[in-house]
Amino acid sequence: MRRFVVRVWALSAKEVRHVLRDPRSLYLALGMPVVMLLLFGYGVSFDLDRLPVAFVDHDHSAASRALRRRFTAGDDFVDVGELDADGAQAALVAGDAMAVIVIERGFERHRARGERATVQVLVDGSEANGATQLRAKAERMLALLGVDGAIRASGAGAPLEARTWTRFNPEGKSAVFLVPGITAYVLAIVAVLLTALTVAREWERGSMAQLFATPVGRLEIIVGKLLPYLAIGTLAVLLVLAVGMWVFDVPFRGSPAALALLSFLFLAGMLGQGLLISVITRSQMVATQAAALSSMLPSMLLSGFVFPIENMPQVLQWITVVIPARYFVEGLRGVLLRGNGLAELWPELLALSVFALVALGVSTARFQRTIA
Amino acid sequence: MSALVVEGLRRDHGAHTAVSGLSFAVAPGELYGLVGPDGAGKSTTIGCLAGLMRPSAGSVRVLGEDPMARGSHARERLGLMPQEYSLYGDLTIAENLRFFGQLFGLPRRAFDERRARLLGITRLARFEDRRADALSGGMYKKLALACALLHRPDVLLLDEPTNGVDPVSRRELWALVHELVGEGMAVLLSTPYMDEAARCHRVGLMHEGHLIAEGEPGALTDALEHEVFELEGGEREVLHAVLTADPDVVAASPAGERLRVVVAPGAGARLAASLAAHGTTLRRVPPDFEDLFLARVAA
Repeated sequence: MRRFVVRVWALSAKEVRHVLRDPRSLYLALGMPVVMLLLFGYGVSFDLDRLPVAFVDHDHSAASRALRRRFTAGDDFVDVGELDADGAQAALVAGDAMAVIVIERGFERHRARGERATVQVLVDGSEANGATQLRAKAERMLALLGVDGAIRASGAGAPLEARTWTRFNPEGKSAVFLVPGITAYVLAIVAVLLTALTVAREWERGSMAQLFATPVGRLEIIVGKLLPYLAIGTLAVLLVLAVGMWVFDVPFRGSPAALALLSFLFLAGMLGQGLLISVITRSQMVATQAAALSSMLPSMLLSGFVFPIENMPQVLQWITVVIPARYFVEGLRGVLLRGNGLAELWPELLALSVFALVALGVSTARFQRTIA
Repeated sequence: MSALVVEGLRRDHGAHTAVSGLSFAVAPGELYGLVGPDGAGKSTTIGCLAGLMRPSAGSVRVLGEDPMARGSHARERLGLMPQEYSLYGDLTIAENLRFFGQLFGLPRRAFDERRARLLGITRLARFEDRRADALSGGMYKKLALACALLHRPDVLLLDEPTNGVDPVSRRELWALVHELVGEGMAVLLSTPYMDEAARCHRVGLMHEGHLIAEGEPGALTDALEHEVFELEGGEREVLHAVLTADPDVVAASPAGERLRVVVAPGAGARLAASLAAHGTTLRRVPPDFEDLFLARVAA
């Protein structure tokens, strides 16, 4: 047992030296996650504001002008001018306006009598996400102004008032929603890539032969190699979350223990995946490509980071079941935004444990103490 | 009992057979040289002995144990110096030594003592803080040897230790190896340099995966029935034409101003007569190891 500890320690200390002496791997491990978080956080935003809106005013009344003024008073919409019906159509087609608000004749009269005053909102639907947000914003604004938008199906009789509250992320900020996804994405790449590279390097440079000629056991090699990267990965998680909370105001409402466990299990799985890749490829070149592909694509596309899993075709939804990033993203959102603890997150923790056990188990079994 | 035993070893790499039907043994206190050109199967043999490759057939024993067997103690008593650069280039001499000392579970005091001694013998003490990448070929090999000796193995496997090493370091390496053998270590060493065969107690001559001759180097060359001559005089090109046409000429190679020729047993007199016409004289010389190799390969 003492020998096991000494050998694992020796291997880990050596690994830490490799990392410290290779600024690139250090950047990859700690710098890249932060840079990517900032890039994604600032660059990939689904939040839209200053949406260009044109107006077609058939009423030409004080009330219609007030509506137009108040509609564009905030940051959400910019008034691109008043047009006639044909001009409005042209503006939509040309992309000069994302929406056209049509105020019908008699608008002021209806309002004065306390009747339903209706305006029509024409939305450019060619960019789905923008259109959805625009619709939501326009509806909200019109409701605020006490007007029924024709874009909403209006109920018969008295106006039906619907109020929606958004919980957990009331401002609907993308960053708050994206940070958990980015964390998983970045961690997956770093953990898989670094592990795959470090083990493949030993094969390629011949030092594996020297290691195998000593009494060191394969379990000692594996544990000694993975421990430092577990530590580096943990550091990267903390760093990314700290930046997320500091720069993007991501809350932390849940249990730290659940966060620690989630991160540990996810990292263990990613390290196992990296190890498996290097054990099979034994070459840094191939390992890099395999590691990047196998970590980047699933954690980006199939984790629910960018595209909600519920909206995917059924086949893709089935595939996401074996993508660990999916559970990590879901778990992180739970811990950070919904204030979840171990009680709510056990399915995610269980799934991550299974993946980690399988990945580490298979790679350990495949790790042969032979050089050819 | 033999420290190393190889019996009927065969090892295939895919469709290619690197070693086949190989048998030899090395006793404690013996320096055994596996001599042969690149691709003869020397490294494969050493890889099997070090437990890095599984034999396709036959067996290897290190101190009576199968080095690949679970729970084998062979590795703890075996030192290996691979042919390739296999230490950590970004670690210093001191760090490489420390790492291997820890893998072998050496206690602190024993490690410090041996490290000091090995650094002294290899004259690397001054460069302790230099990274392995920044060492010359000779210094690197000495460091690799020091790493392989830290745990005082009973068996030492050296795969082409003198390859790429300057003559001074080479002599130092040989002196060190002889000292270790004198202390009772069993040393198996491979080399492509025929002239190094004479430095070994016993030699196994390898060619295309087989042992084509084995014995004490002096006895092997003495027993060679082929005749070896140095040729003087005559035109090089004419000589060359005559020699390549003669089926009894096994090998001819330049040796300074002269030409060194290995001839089939008993064919010397006839060759001397035919070459006299071209103004060439023959002088018989004692065969060396290269002659032996050429003669055996031709056979």
